[in-house]
Amino acid sequence: MFKLATKAIEIADKRKADFADIRIIEDRRQDLSVKNGEIADLNDRVTLGFGVRVLHRGSWGFASSSLLSARSIELCTLKAFEIARAGTLIKGRAARMAPEPAWQDFWQTPFIKDPFAVSIDAKLELLFKMNTMMAKNKKIKSAVCDMNFIREHQWHMTTDGSKIEQVLLSSGAGSSVSAISGGDMQLRSYPSVHGGQTLAGGYELIETLDLAGNAERVREEALALLAAPPCPSGEKDLIIGGNQLALQIHESVGHASELDRVLGYEESYAGSSFATTEKLGRFRYGSPIVNLVADATLPGGLATAGYDDDAVKAQRWHIVKEGILSGYMTNREFAHAIGARRSCGSCRADGFSNIPITRICNLSLMPGNIPYEELIASTKDGIIMENNKSWSIDQKRLNFQFGCELGWLVKNGKKTTLVKNPTYQGITPEFWNSCDAISDENSWRLYGVANCGKGQPGQTAMMCHGNSPARFKQVKIGVKSN
Amino acid sequence: MIKTEDICERIFALAKGVQTEAFMVHSAGALTRFADNEISQNVYNDSSSVSIRFVDSGRTAKITLNQFDRTALERAVKTGLETLKWQKKDKNLLPLAGPRPLERGRNVFSKETAELPPLYRAQKINDLVRTCKKNGQIAYGTLENGLASYTVANSRGVFAKHLESYITYSVTVRDGDGFGWAETPAATAGDIDFEAVNRTARLKAAMGRKPRDIKPGLYPVILEPAAAADLLSYLCVFGFGGQFYNEGSSFVSGNLGKNLLSPRLSIEDNALDGPAPGMPFDFEGQPRSRVFLVEKGTVKAVVHDRKTAAAAKTASTGHSLPQPNGFTPFPLNVSVHPGESSVEEMIKNSKKAVLITQFHYTNLLRPLSVEMTGMTRNGTFLVENGKISKPLKNLRFTQSMVKAFRDVEAVGRKAELCQVWGRLSCPAFKLKAFNFSSATEF
Repeated sequence: MFKLATKAIEIADKRKADFADIRIIEDRRQDLSVKNGEIADLNDRVTLGFGVRVLHRGSWGFASSSLLSARSIELCTLKAFEIARAGTLIKGRAARMAPEPAWQDFWQTPFIKDPFAVSIDAKLELLFKMNTMMAKNKKIKSAVCDMNFIREHQWHMTTDGSKIEQVLLSSGAGSSVSAISGGDMQLRSYPSVHGGQTLAGGYELIETLDLAGNAERVREEALALLAAPPCPSGEKDLIIGGNQLALQIHESVGHASELDRVLGYEESYAGSSFATTEKLGRFRYGSPIVNLVADATLPGGLATAGYDDDAVKAQRWHIVKEGILSGYMTNREFAHAIGARRSCGSCRADGFSNIPITRICNLSLMPGNIPYEELIASTKDGIIMENNKSWSIDQKRLNFQFGCELGWLVKNGKKTTLVKNPTYQGITPEFWNSCDAISDENSWRLYGVANCGKGQPGQTAMMCHGNSPARFKQVKIGVKSN
Repeated sequence: MIKTEDICERIFALAKGVQTEAFMVHSAGALTRFADNEISQNVYNDSSSVSIRFVDSGRTAKITLNQFDRTALERAVKTGLETLKWQKKDKNLLPLAGPRPLERGRNVFSKETAELPPLYRAQKINDLVRTCKKNGQIAYGTLENGLASYTVANSRGVFAKHLESYITYSVTVRDGDGFGWAETPAATAGDIDFEAVNRTARLKAAMGRKPRDIKPGLYPVILEPAAAADLLSYLCVFGFGGQFYNEGSSFVSGNLGKNLLSPRLSIEDNALDGPAPGMPFDFEGQPRSRVFLVEKGTVKAVVHDRKTAAAAKTASTGHSLPQPNGFTPFPLNVSVHPGESSVEEMIKNSKKAVLITQFHYTNLLRPLSVEMTGMTRNGTFLVENGKISKPLKNLRFTQSMVKAFRDVEAVGRKAELCQVWGRLSCPAFKLKAFNFSSATEF
């Protein structure tokens, strides 16, 4: 593959590109889904293609194709130059890349069991078994069980001398049921909806989830929710963890710290950010116990790789340190905007057909020092919310509203009543500043976000957000609807 | 261009008598993105793929690939056929569909539009950027164009092919702390009034400077077409899909023929010759029907594919998405019937209302009432005593759409094509009561 890739680099060098790179990608994906005892998806996808990125006279051009040949690479590279030239019509800031050593390396996701070597038969057997157990009640109108596996083999060459081969592997599974009765509909999932739990690694991840072992509990909890009272409205101490806190981190810190959107380059679509660059190092994002760390080296992380798609080596850095905004997700193009001499390495593309853009890395809330049981025991009037059901946040990442699958009221340190349709609203810095307790490392886990959308044309990326359950004081819950 | 007929025939021959469907997609498109008054991203992609679905005596499998040489196709078919062997029979699995006569549908292809070069896009953007710079404004947005072709064929004789071009111009303008937005999607470049898009976005941004606070609560709202389309697309997808209807998770379930919505609201799905046209066949190669979803507030019908139609003991309306899947069909070429008002008249006739340009990050909370949340964006204004009195900071809504569209006070006479879940042609709406649950700081 590198022999083919050299063609693009030769042309770019000959035409004196400021920078250019080519990424050849072979991608294999397997999706399996069983719904109500029938196969709802069973698709094995293999795609191959390449994308060439050219920075010429400070202007970008990118062209990609699924036709992989020397001639096609030549034509695409020339097309990228044509596009870059057109961009120079409008005089603006000349884009430039932060320096990075030339890396020549091979890296791959560690795994124990190759998911593509596990038979379809075994996978379907598990999915059908789980599905049958979940659907065992007339009020269950929909029971869905999924698995997905992705292996992306990349060959990346740059004009500044990097030559990197990587094989990234992820595995995921999930299940959900919908119970309907008396004009009400309740959803319960395990480990979560939105594709379930996905992490970097092999089929061993599926085996650790104990999908079948949780099927009956999930079904019974959905049925119990039908009979549960609605979440009360008002202000209570909110305890969240798991995939809900992961999504809270994702939406209110992850996206808010992407430097391209901070600088306004996402304004036309996803929006910008309140966390503007003059706040770096001085803005109180959260309470002093809040530490949020980006980490592309984190074992199991979906954004973990040897190098990002700017050919920058994987790093670990603080976004929020002791409550203070301390860093951004950067790429090589925008790193200089915060005076950085090097990118943190948060630039990735969705497959061969998309240009690399600034992305959220694995971003985790560091554990606190209180056992989870004590966190609940020390809560006088609160609510625990579990598993995300809906999400929305404004275009500066300030006003958010989340809905969860279930809530447990906490009274005088004890879990009491199960409530349905729990929601909460907040404003990002107020919310993170209200964080007064974080559980210790014993309850710290990694949660995958496998469907993060950004960019135009739209791209999907994957990352993880580790956390242990945390408590936020006096949050607005039970949002009233009309 | 790839010879799709040849590839399909090669696949069917390799499958040796097993029912086989080939769904081929070819897309070639470019997008120029601008921000901070300069071009920030500029991309082009040309790619093709084929999804091969096998159905054999209650067993199914799908293989997708984007290489079409003999070796790749042979490997794909072999893998697919092997996957079938590992399955138990599903007695409910339908065999592949046979061919049925297809209408031609409206021509939505322009070679010229599909192939507009990067310099064309740069020049159009430059026109906007120059004006913005002159007026102290900042432009953001995209101009994209390209083509997409879809072929559905199967070994029972179905062969359906659709080719379309597209162009979309989307502009956001910032003027101090004011934001404005306008967007026009079209099949051909000639259908886009670039100056009008620029003018609207710039004017709204200027009007939006120094936005004020307003107390959250219930307000009448005037929804411009894009804002109304965003909400109505959720109503259509979660209300009028055959699968959701069958499962009882739609507000329409068990309620066909009932007046659940305003008598001012009529909605149909029409991919053939409606104002939001598309493929005249579905993803199983079956003819798309025109379906009246809502007629003067009465919910009339939902859309079906062959599978959901069989479960509901009715006929398919030709709305299948790629099979198998567990959540479709959806109406994707929706036309909301225009009324007799205009946004200007709605403003003039309002004592107090909130005028909304666009929503951001809308999401579903409860499917049975289509309860949603989301934020206003890029132009929210207070209307008082028949006039726009001031720009507003953005607001979050938490509202059931079934309830909101039960009390429609006026419908715009001009519908605009919007891109939401598929295509949706939508006029402006004035709704009697809309719940804003909180505000934001800008």
